[in-house]
Amino acid sequence: MLRFVLRRLASGVVLIVVITAATFFLLHAAGGNVARRVLGQEATEDTVVQKTHELGLDRPVLTQFGDWLSHAVHGDFGTSWFTSQPVSEAITSRLQVTLELVIGATLVSGIVAVALGVLAATRRGWIDRLVQLLAVLGFAIPNFLVALALVTVFAIQLKLFKPTGYADLADDPAGWLATVTLPIIALSIGSIAGVAQQIRGSMIDALDRDYVRTLRSRGLPESRVVYKHVLRNASGPGLAMLAIQFVGLLGGAVIIEQIFAIPGLGQVSVGATSQGDVPLVMGLVLVTAVVVVTVNLVVDLLQGFLNPKVRLS
Amino acid sequence: MTATRSGLWRRLLKNPTGIGSLLFLVLVVLSAVFAPLLAPHDPDTASAYDTLGGPSGAHWLGNDSSGHDVLSRLLFATRLSVTLTAETLLIAAVLGIVAGLVAGYYGKVFETVGTATTSLLQALPAIVVLLAVKSVLGPSDFVAMAVFGVLIAPAFYRVVYSAVSAVRGELYVDAARVSGLSDPRIITRHVLTVVRAPAIILAANIAGIAVAISAGLDFLGLGDPSIPSWGGMLNDGFTNIFTQPLLVLWPSLAIGLTCVAFALLGNALRDELERVDGAPTRRRGKKRPAGVTVQSAPVIVHDDDVRTGTELLSVRHLSVGYGLPDGSVKTVVEDVALTVRRGEVHGLIGESGSGKTQTAFSILRLLPSGGQIVAGSITFEGKDLAGLSAKEMAAIRGKRIAYIPQEPMSNLDPSFTIGSQLTEPMRIHLGLSKAAAKARALELLARVGIPQPERTFAAYPHEVSGGMAQRVLIAGAVSCDPELLIADEPTTALDVTVQAEVLDLLRDLQRERQLGVLLVTHNFGVVADLCDRVSVMRSGRIVETGPVRSIFADPRHEYTRSLFDSVLSDTEARGALPGVTSSGTLGEGVTA
Amino acid sequence: MIRSSRLFTVALVAGLGLAGCGGGSSSATSSGGAAGSVVLGSLVQPTSYAANGAGWANEALLQQAVYDSLLHADPDGKIVPWLATEWSWNDTKTVLTLKLRTDVTFTDGTKFDADAAAQNLLRFRDGTAPNKSFLAAMTDAKAVDAGTLQITLKEPDPALLTYLTQAAGLMESPKHFGAADEKTNPVGTGPYVLDTGKTVVGSSYVYTANPNYFAKDKQHWKNLTIKVISTPATEVNAIKGGQIDGMNVIDSSTVAQIKGAGYTVVDHELDWSGLAIFDRGGKLVPALKEPKVRQAISYAVDRAGMLKAAAQGNGTVTSSVFPTYSPGFDPAVDQYYTYDAAKAKQLLAEAGYPSFTMTLPQVTGFGQVQNDLLKQYLGAVGITVKYVTVPVNNIITDLLAGKYPAANFQLQEDPTAWQEANFLLTTNATFNPFKVADPTVDGLVKTIQTGSDAEAAAATKELNKYVTEQGFMAPYYRLKGFWAQNGKISAHPQVGNATPYLYNITPAKG
Repeated sequence: MLRFVLRRLASGVVLIVVITAATFFLLHAAGGNVARRVLGQEATEDTVVQKTHELGLDRPVLTQFGDWLSHAVHGDFGTSWFTSQPVSEAITSRLQVTLELVIGATLVSGIVAVALGVLAATRRGWIDRLVQLLAVLGFAIPNFLVALALVTVFAIQLKLFKPTGYADLADDPAGWLATVTLPIIALSIGSIAGVAQQIRGSMIDALDRDYVRTLRSRGLPESRVVYKHVLRNASGPGLAMLAIQFVGLLGGAVIIEQIFAIPGLGQVSVGATSQGDVPLVMGLVLVTAVVVVTVNLVVDLLQGFLNPKVRLS
Repeated sequence: MTATRSGLWRRLLKNPTGIGSLLFLVLVVLSAVFAPLLAPHDPDTASAYDTLGGPSGAHWLGNDSSGHDVLSRLLFATRLSVTLTAETLLIAAVLGIVAGLVAGYYGKVFETVGTATTSLLQALPAIVVLLAVKSVLGPSDFVAMAVFGVLIAPAFYRVVYSAVSAVRGELYVDAARVSGLSDPRIITRHVLTVVRAPAIILAANIAGIAVAISAGLDFLGLGDPSIPSWGGMLNDGFTNIFTQPLLVLWPSLAIGLTCVAFALLGNALRDELERVDGAPTRRRGKKRPAGVTVQSAPVIVHDDDVRTGTELLSVRHLSVGYGLPDGSVKTVVEDVALTVRRGEVHGLIGESGSGKTQTAFSILRLLPSGGQIVAGSITFEGKDLAGLSAKEMAAIRGKRIAYIPQEPMSNLDPSFTIGSQLTEPMRIHLGLSKAAAKARALELLARVGIPQPERTFAAYPHEVSGGMAQRVLIAGAVSCDPELLIADEPTTALDVTVQAEVLDLLRDLQRERQLGVLLVTHNFGVVADLCDRVSVMRSGRIVETGPVRSIFADPRHEYTRSLFDSVLSDTEARGALPGVTSSGTLGEGVTA
Repeated sequence: MIRSSRLFTVALVAGLGLAGCGGGSSSATSSGGAAGSVVLGSLVQPTSYAANGAGWANEALLQQAVYDSLLHADPDGKIVPWLATEWSWNDTKTVLTLKLRTDVTFTDGTKFDADAAAQNLLRFRDGTAPNKSFLAAMTDAKAVDAGTLQITLKEPDPALLTYLTQAAGLMESPKHFGAADEKTNPVGTGPYVLDTGKTVVGSSYVYTANPNYFAKDKQHWKNLTIKVISTPATEVNAIKGGQIDGMNVIDSSTVAQIKGAGYTVVDHELDWSGLAIFDRGGKLVPALKEPKVRQAISYAVDRAGMLKAAAQGNGTVTSSVFPTYSPGFDPAVDQYYTYDAAKAKQLLAEAGYPSFTMTLPQVTGFGQVQNDLLKQYLGAVGITVKYVTVPVNNIITDLLAGKYPAANFQLQEDPTAWQEANFLLTTNATFNPFKVADPTVDGLVKTIQTGSDAEAAAATKELNKYVTEQGFMAPYYRLKGFWAQNGKISAHPQVGNATPYLYNITPAKG
């Protein structure tokens, strides 16, 4: 088990380095006169040159990357070129918020997808077709439309939730719930489809197995057979799909955070990438890569826990 | 192979979802191609006094914020969507399929590189990458969607790779290699056909995703505003949502319906594919199909000898049938009657397809999906099992009636330890605590002859041998002290040496606990060894029944006699048995 | 300067700010003492909370929360004493002497004096602020004594006093210069103090009342929060949800919704929107050298249609870039051009350019309606317009580099012709990237700079007439900007600025 974890961690680290390097070079290839963008158009040429030097942009790209990497390893990600805020501060203050949304959406998706998938697989017939249709609709409708509809109906008409903003979970749990519920729902709708399909398919396969009949013959109630035994065996592909969806949710958060004015990473990403704020973008990419690698590792461990045969490989 | 494929397409066209979505998509492509002819106005004509106008005679879908005609713009925007989707699909499919083929077929280095690249590409959230790409390479949608094609190629890679590597070791590939076919030839002719179906299904789903992503990017304002696009129109509608709410509707419908169509097409393809490969889809009816009449046929009944135990099970006029896709019912068990008393072992013997296992399943009410009891009664200790609810049956199974399956390995849940599978039913039926259940389980394991009960208790099914697994299953069957045991060919799947041991075990347990046993078998030796009574089944009916001694001494039915004759001795090989076809089957997918 | 409005994102807005000027004082009467809380909305976050990096315009509220400026401006633009109590010019208008208050301290305990003020001014001139060039003409600032500040210019600058009511006049504690958190944690003399613990950078800024503020009657609330809201839909939702008390309306098409939510809107005209023609020297497009061609462009456009389509009629059709309260305003000049496509074609033919092509920039998400309509109108008279999509971050840089001959734009109408001219019209004006020289313009502007008030006014009128008739620019309309507020507050729009000034926002009566 330990070797398994170490091996995954090692490949994860390699992945992160490759991704950050690729992003770094990509951003520098973008070119554009960053110093002038930072200073504005009134700045004189001298000031621009001075700023360029100050930001270290006149050095070879490889040197710049090496410099960034050596600092990053120690936790120093530099400061934003545009807001002058330390990148680590800018990110950590917002990371928690985005993670709350994305993890929340993942959990909601997982639970609803399991319910729908099991329902479709065990009942078949018209329920199966209905669930499939719902899944397809959820997948096809753009999440920002869903978001807008939710805001209009539940936040503005019915006043059950807050239309914008964010309240800290620790300070104000009720307020937190009021601000994140709608965004999480909007995010989840799309990913439920894919996961539900997977679970439905693997449940249908698993329900056909011999051991299911034997378990029933032992007198286990049907619910226990389905939820404790069959679901556990069938969950592998569904879990893998959920992990894939998680990555997609990180991207989906970008649009949702804009709409709900939630101070998360997504909100910062659009601005940072379009401005070419390299330190901030690098920090964002690094954090995203780390999150993705971690989630994949957790999912792999979970798969091992659920399916004993996997542990041997 | 070709026959299957054209059959697949024909079947798809008959599938309502399939034909519906296909038609819609064809419509989309046609409107893209013929947009200049179909559009009532020039999509680029702006008009200051028509801005944000609602639907009118001249502008059926209204006007956008610059006064353009929405319908015309929508039609021309289809061109962009179709082109971009095709572009993404092409790039993703070519890259993914080729890489998957090479990695799956040749393995080794290619496989390692493929897996590493795939993980890398999958770790990046697409939108973040595309944002960065757009800021670097400008607002061109074509560049961005090409990059997206690369990002999503892993989906094709994985599907193709797993299909190909599964097939790689197949005999026919080896045969092709041996007969001197070159690798590319093997790949294109043999391997590619395996990959075709899953790749097509995937393509349908990916196309839907591509439409959504390109619309999303245009919606975020990252596209070229001069070119009409669905996402751009959605953005315009969103910006002006308070003034002209209808504007979001049209591009939403376009994007939504197209994505849905692709997804439904993928589903339909998958459903039709399953129908080709697997068994015909069975219906699950709840009610008894009407109008099933079963005639009786004469049964040769030998005189009873002394039967002492109380009657446990009494089956009368039992008929079991399966619903066919066309609505009719195929009966696999007809008018079966038998009794089992306490302490008595009743053998049910017959060939494959005779209906003996179906009879056993029906007593337990565990028929495979599609099967039902269509006539008769199954009386167990006074109650008719055929009429009980699921909950009532669950209370009886395991506790009063137990089951020993045929194939040990596939009948244990691979995800749970043997110990937990033993203790779980005991805790439910007997209300034991965890510790008490464990103690009892260990006792049972020892009783059934497992050398190291603790080890086996903690082991997973895949860690023990077939013989041990069967002993575990037997232990499980008797664990809650049932009265009736239904054993379905319990030794057939075991090694010959182990068979005898297991049979001994069964006999001992039966005598110890005075169990009534219905023993399904095809082996007269087993009948002779264990059974007190025997019923002979053929083609779903019992032809002869009676005490074992009597039947063995004096088999009266010609079928019974031929069965005895077929037991190997120094005689010639027999011919076909009278009254039974050579395959002896009653229907597809039904095991006897 | 280009003004921040709904058309530009944070990136652009960060670079630019605007000045305003005027006279008269008005002190909003309000109950003294700070109590209660208020939440305002802001389109942007601060460029920098270091005073020498501060932006203005849409950022003014954020800066005014924590900093005082040397002078204040009342809603009409009239200069009013604040940290500086009196001021006077010398004869050549190159030396300004200001008397300062001596009873003010920064929130870190440092005393505010003339030396601190001088340092701030010099740092602003040499710093990174978007408007640092406002003090470019300043050769020196020094403390004559603790309460007297002297500013020396190399040439007269009629707008200096106005600049001192804006970012250039912000006063930061000298002890805080160069601090590690200088750019994110401001130390000023202002009515509120930033609560860095509760603030989420880029999203919501939380302030509490400065307990030692010297003008308690201008400090209306105990708690101030400024939320950053960047899209019209989010703004509407925040308003409908009652989450903000006041904010500039990002998109005027949402005004109906906002009113429907029970908020009131106050409006003022600040910008002109139209085609800014840069290539008057004909370098990229030879046709633009001819005044008749430029006039044809103005005749070709249906300004009323533009106003209706792009701004829902919120504004006034105009042909001039000078505002109504400018001494140069002339109603005839203001409506000089009519919508006359036939006349446009005729002028083009007379100039010898019956048809030609222009490549203009377009920025996704901004001014799409004007771009589409302009193409339509000009196309109808023979001028083909091709668009090139430019990322929002590069547009200003590209325009200033002279990459495009003209562009649809929205620019502030500066109340002083001096500012206007130096921004747009003179040979070395910021938005004259091709450096097209016009001796008439330069001559008139000189008079505005150095002449008496009467001479300057006359020159301004002449300037207005000249540049309009010569078709320097092709304005479509003056745009109304809106400020939305609920019943809790009352704000006076500020002449020459995007948002009201914080000290002109008071609790509503009753």
